[in-house]
Amino acid sequence: MAAILEYVSHLFFSGVGNLAAYLAAHVLLCLLPAFYIAGAMTALIPKETVTRYLGRNTPKYISYPAAAAAGFLLAVCSCTVIPLFAGIHKKGAGLGPAITFLFVAPAVNILALSYTGAVIGMDLAIARLVLSIAFGIGIGIIMALIFRKEDAEHDKKTDLMFAGQATMRKVAVIFLLILVALLVVGTFQIEVLKTAYFEINLALPGVNQFQENLFRLIPFDPSRGEEGVTAQGAVLIGLLILIGLTAWRGIEKIHDGFNTWTWISTALVGLTLIFAALSVNPYPGGVALAFTGKFFGVLLSVILLGWMIPTQLTENETRDFLWETWRFIKQIFPLLIVGVFAVGVIRVLIKPEWIQAVAGQNTILGNFAGVIFGVFMYFPTLVEVPIAQMFLSLGMHRGPLLAYLISDPELSLQSILITASIIGKLKAWVYVAWVSLFSTVAGLLYGAWVNGTSLGLVTLYLAIFLGLLALLVWLIERNNDKTSPVEA
Amino acid sequence: MLQIKILGTGCPNCKKLEQETKKAVTSLAIEAEFEKVTDYQKIMEYDVLSTPGLVINEKVVSSGKIPSQGEITSFLTSALENS
Repeated sequence: MAAILEYVSHLFFSGVGNLAAYLAAHVLLCLLPAFYIAGAMTALIPKETVTRYLGRNTPKYISYPAAAAAGFLLAVCSCTVIPLFAGIHKKGAGLGPAITFLFVAPAVNILALSYTGAVIGMDLAIARLVLSIAFGIGIGIIMALIFRKEDAEHDKKTDLMFAGQATMRKVAVIFLLILVALLVVGTFQIEVLKTAYFEINLALPGVNQFQENLFRLIPFDPSRGEEGVTAQGAVLIGLLILIGLTAWRGIEKIHDGFNTWTWISTALVGLTLIFAALSVNPYPGGVALAFTGKFFGVLLSVILLGWMIPTQLTENETRDFLWETWRFIKQIFPLLIVGVFAVGVIRVLIKPEWIQAVAGQNTILGNFAGVIFGVFMYFPTLVEVPIAQMFLSLGMHRGPLLAYLISDPELSLQSILITASIIGKLKAWVYVAWVSLFSTVAGLLYGAWVNGTSLGLVTLYLAIFLGLLALLVWLIERNNDKTSPVEA
Repeated sequence: MLQIKILGTGCPNCKKLEQETKKAVTSLAIEAEFEKVTDYQKIMEYDVLSTPGLVINEKVVSSGKIPSQGEITSFLTSALENS
């Protein structure tokens, strides 16, 4: 009995430890700016700037890339994805670009990308971006070819809806760019940003003591990829909670007008980001504060943003921006916390040998296993990332890991059902089959690159694969031209 | 009597839009009938590309965002003048 209790409490603390380490280490400099960027994109980019390229009369070489861009720029939440998907399909450019949009949107939105980059590595995030866009366009074209006839019969309504001419204000563009800069300096690990330009030593012996106590309270095992909570991390978690509380007072009712809490919570976010960028190294008898390139970059961006919000943005823009950001945080963050906690618990239960046996190497089977796991398991937005990191620390190869990361947000029972109700069951399942195939290939290609194959060769493989597919689909279509495709 | 429809599949912004619109209706002291449209086949019959959408007397006045109180009020008053 005592043994069971001890085991359960071990599991619990493993979960807590994982959660605390995540909040302290990964969340701040990547997720917080990413949430603000997502909010700014939703609030400040008029949808017409992208959707006007998705009308029925737009040439294909514009509408497909535009659909991919729309997936990246406009869709962070399913509220936007579903109507936009249905709209592009029914009244806009048709099935192909709609599928491209559907494929790209969940995989490469700004939140998923920056989180992947910070937690697992920029190379994987970039692979996720490039391969998702390439394959999204590929699947779109293939689906459009397979279901060509039905698509032509689709309602021939005018594309008035897609003809909007709204443009973005220059100030809003600059604002977004500074937010992106903030994210980049906060998360990229390059020399200029890592170098410390000067250091201050403070004789605060309490800090080191505090950190030692934290390590004892939340034990961790670096050999298993676990991370401890530092003194700085503990302060940051405290600040995060404060932000949450003040935002609840200040932003929840923002449509009634700004109040003092609105500004307090926004200022707190800035302060927290600056503090997180500082590198704090306690030692017995004191603490060393190092001011790195990252610190100055973050400081400068936060000051610029702090100046722009009250002086350059209109009241409506500021309100929409803060509201959308808060909405994303409210919607995604609680699920993420539960997910990260669960990952911490599960990690203790999985034996590394199992993972290594199935997906330790970059094989077709390993990649397919990653895809199958992604399709059958449904995790809320962003939770796939800590899960992927768990697999990585348990010995999964990066190829199958990418296959999993691409397929998991793409395909879940929920998304398959929604897709089926808009485009029909047959098309939806054909789409599922293509996504599985493409995710497997994406994992294989990236895995080959990780194993040392040159980038040129990988690109060549990719081109050959896409070329063969196009040829195959074209040949099948030509043979079947007389028999009409089966209706779902 | 205005006919107001809120288009949206039930996401938080749709609820917020409904609250805001009801508030504007109350402060203008006008009569209005509210309907929530949650079936997106029906939503797609209107010219909206993203939800939440606000429809007054079958005319889409706003979509993809939550308009401010001032904007909602002016939508309502201009709809009243035209009816």
